[in-house]
Amino acid sequence: MTPHADPAETVVSLEGVTKRFGTTVALDGASVDVRRGEVVVLLGLSGSGKSTLLRHVDGLERPTDGRVTVLGREVTALSGRALRELRSEVGFIFQQFELVPSLTVLENVLTGSLAAVRGPRLGLWSYGRAARAEALARLERVGLLERAYQRADTLSGGQQQRVAIARALMQRPQVLLADEPVASLDPESSDQVMALIREIAVDEGLTVICSLHQVDLALSWADRIVGLRHGAVVLDTETEGLSKSQVMEIYGRVATSTEQMAAIELELAGDAVR
Amino acid sequence: MTAVTERPRTAEAPLVPRAAPPRRRASPARVAAGLTIVALLVASLVALRSVEIDPTRMLQSWSNAERFFGRVGAIEFPPLGELLSLTALTLGLVICGTLLAAVLSVPVAVLAASNTTPGPAWRAAARFVTVLARAVPDVVLAMVFVLLFSLGTLPGILAIGLHSVGMISKLFADAIEQIDEGPRTAVRAAGGTRLQQFTAGVLPQVLPSWVATVLHRNDINLRGSVILGYVGVVGLGREMSFAFKSLDYGLGLGYALVIFVLCVVMEVVSSSVRAAMLGIAPTGRGLGDRVVRRATRRRAAASSGSVVPEAASGASAAPVSVDTMLRRPWDRTRVRDTSWGAIAVAVVVASVLVCDIAWSDLVSVWSRVPAVAVQFWPPSFGSYEASTMVAAMGETIAIALAATVLTLVASIVIGSLAARNVAPSRGVRSGMRLLLVGIRGVPEVILAIVLIVVTGLGTQAGTLALALGGVGLLGKLLADSFEEVSPGPERALAATGATRLQVFAGATLPQGTRALVGHAFYMLDTNIRAATLLGIVGAGGVGYYLLNASQGSNYGAVTAIVLMILVTVLAVEVLAMWMRKVLR
Repeated sequence: MTPHADPAETVVSLEGVTKRFGTTVALDGASVDVRRGEVVVLLGLSGSGKSTLLRHVDGLERPTDGRVTVLGREVTALSGRALRELRSEVGFIFQQFELVPSLTVLENVLTGSLAAVRGPRLGLWSYGRAARAEALARLERVGLLERAYQRADTLSGGQQQRVAIARALMQRPQVLLADEPVASLDPESSDQVMALIREIAVDEGLTVICSLHQVDLALSWADRIVGLRHGAVVLDTETEGLSKSQVMEIYGRVATSTEQMAAIELELAGDAVR
Repeated sequence: MTAVTERPRTAEAPLVPRAAPPRRRASPARVAAGLTIVALLVASLVALRSVEIDPTRMLQSWSNAERFFGRVGAIEFPPLGELLSLTALTLGLVICGTLLAAVLSVPVAVLAASNTTPGPAWRAAARFVTVLARAVPDVVLAMVFVLLFSLGTLPGILAIGLHSVGMISKLFADAIEQIDEGPRTAVRAAGGTRLQQFTAGVLPQVLPSWVATVLHRNDINLRGSVILGYVGVVGLGREMSFAFKSLDYGLGLGYALVIFVLCVVMEVVSSSVRAAMLGIAPTGRGLGDRVVRRATRRRAAASSGSVVPEAASGASAAPVSVDTMLRRPWDRTRVRDTSWGAIAVAVVVASVLVCDIAWSDLVSVWSRVPAVAVQFWPPSFGSYEASTMVAAMGETIAIALAATVLTLVASIVIGSLAARNVAPSRGVRSGMRLLLVGIRGVPEVILAIVLIVVTGLGTQAGTLALALGGVGLLGKLLADSFEEVSPGPERALAATGATRLQVFAGATLPQGTRALVGHAFYMLDTNIRAATLLGIVGAGGVGYYLLNASQGSNYGAVTAIVLMILVTVLAVEVLAMWMRKVLR
């Protein structure tokens, strides 16, 4: 657990959250509590509801049933300005980075500060000197200062994800959500990005919820692992002293369908080869 | 290899299916679409007869042509000073009009795009505006505005501006609908407002396509400005119409030549702007793109010997820090962007200045609107017989149909030969591509005017002008479509030893058929609009009566004719939309 972790304070809390899209159930009565400063990894196969859960924390989705409380505010009750304020305190990192390819790296980072200003912004100079200086400092933090004036699409995948992290930091968030942040990256960049997220979490006292599907990564970077299957929480355990085979065993026991078992076996086999 | 090809076919097991294969069921919609195509083809053939395209007569009219060119004598030009000021005026007016449309199209497109619209009602209203703006010809708008403002550049600017909103906002809305939603979601997740989501997440993605569309529309508007001159909009077009009306063919052709050159230059300029400002590599096959590509290639070849890597020269010794990076370095990108921005601003300012817009007219005009509106309502054919009008509209449709079918036949031949994968040799392909570019450079109106002078007034000139001009567009579209077909089947057929023609018929054409039908309908759609206008210069159809009614202050008839045109254009549009949907 990071030094800032405070077992007393819960910053994110989902209580019996159910989400249906038409007839499919994306979340099935999921309950998770995350304490301040914790790094929690959501583990599950694709379609298990990890992304949907994260999107509920940021108010990007509304639950069909249940309650989501973030930073002491009930997300489901928020709308308009109050919702935007909450979102600005919660950073979000996406699998596909979601930078605007044609804009400079710096302007992409600056878009993270939009909630702090009023009205639309277009062009670097519309943001003001202080904001630009802060954005450059954030870029320095993720090691990409000299790239500030390049187009975002000239960067590699790992670099783009680091720019996205800088953008999220521009929000000065208390909570950082990361939805499969390394799924589109090669193993080396994956480690770099995960290390950076962990470092920043420790330095800034951030609470991190990160979804992954690789057990390896989850074990090395998480304080706690929450396993999801068919939208339900089937595993919730501290990682300290936990071995990979233990996680896989628990994970395998709950993944009852043969399809999922096959997928897990495939992953184990893949790890063995690696 | 030989063993395979020489294996006797008779040795194979007989390929007779044991049971009859299930018949392919055609849906009623597809049957209807097929019948419609057949009906249109038949109608086109009937139309061809009715517009009196007659090779023998055309041969006879060569004597006309000889007489005509005898009368023209030498092509004359107006004094240089006058020519330059007219050119500046025409360009300024077209650019101002396009700019107006560009600005107006932003809110319309935002409302019309499914992912940015506030609600379905807004969306429907915006879509209606785009369709309506496209359906009302700019000439008709110009007629109305000339009446409202009498003099100056405002009628032309407003006519071009309001009409162009249709095309620009439609393409812009399509571009908005095709964006990657990710960056927008990222701004939303960061707590951005709807407006901020649009400016930070959507706009940067669609800006290049918006600029490209606006530049493209500017080319179209420059061509169209010729016909606006016929209804009194100032500029080169009006001077040309005066020259032809006073039978000063030498001067008229001089103006026509200037306009042609201007159109080609504009295409080159807009292509280079697109390439330079947007970083879009000129991959098109328009004349402009060709020139730009050639020029940049040469430059790249010249500089490749002494290129210093940017990183090496830019990084130099000083280490980067937040403070040093606050000042954006004047690297090549920034210099380029800034200079293009400055040029763009200069062009816009110059255009506005050259147009010498009487801004106060925009306020005072409203007091005249009721009086003018009353003149246009109610619609009536006035002194014209209703049957004459309907016949004239029929003639216009006949011209469009006949021109489309002629264009189609010629384009399939020329377009095929211009496609890389069909042309027998590079030389043939390049020659055909060049031919297509040359045809596209000539505004249809000028084609029509020259043809009228050669073949006399009437439907024949209009049909030929549209047919010829259409080849430039349809031939290009078909060539591009043929080049885009999957090469697999072609290779497979070629591997069986099929001839070039067999490969074309067996692999290329079947794959390109859908695109061909789509493009043909697009052509029909365009031709119907164009055919209504060509009548204004005397090329047959309803346009002639439109101009007459307007010049005779018979505004009820103008309204009636415009309504007829609107209904026809909308009907063709609906038909084309339905066909596209069914045949997708």
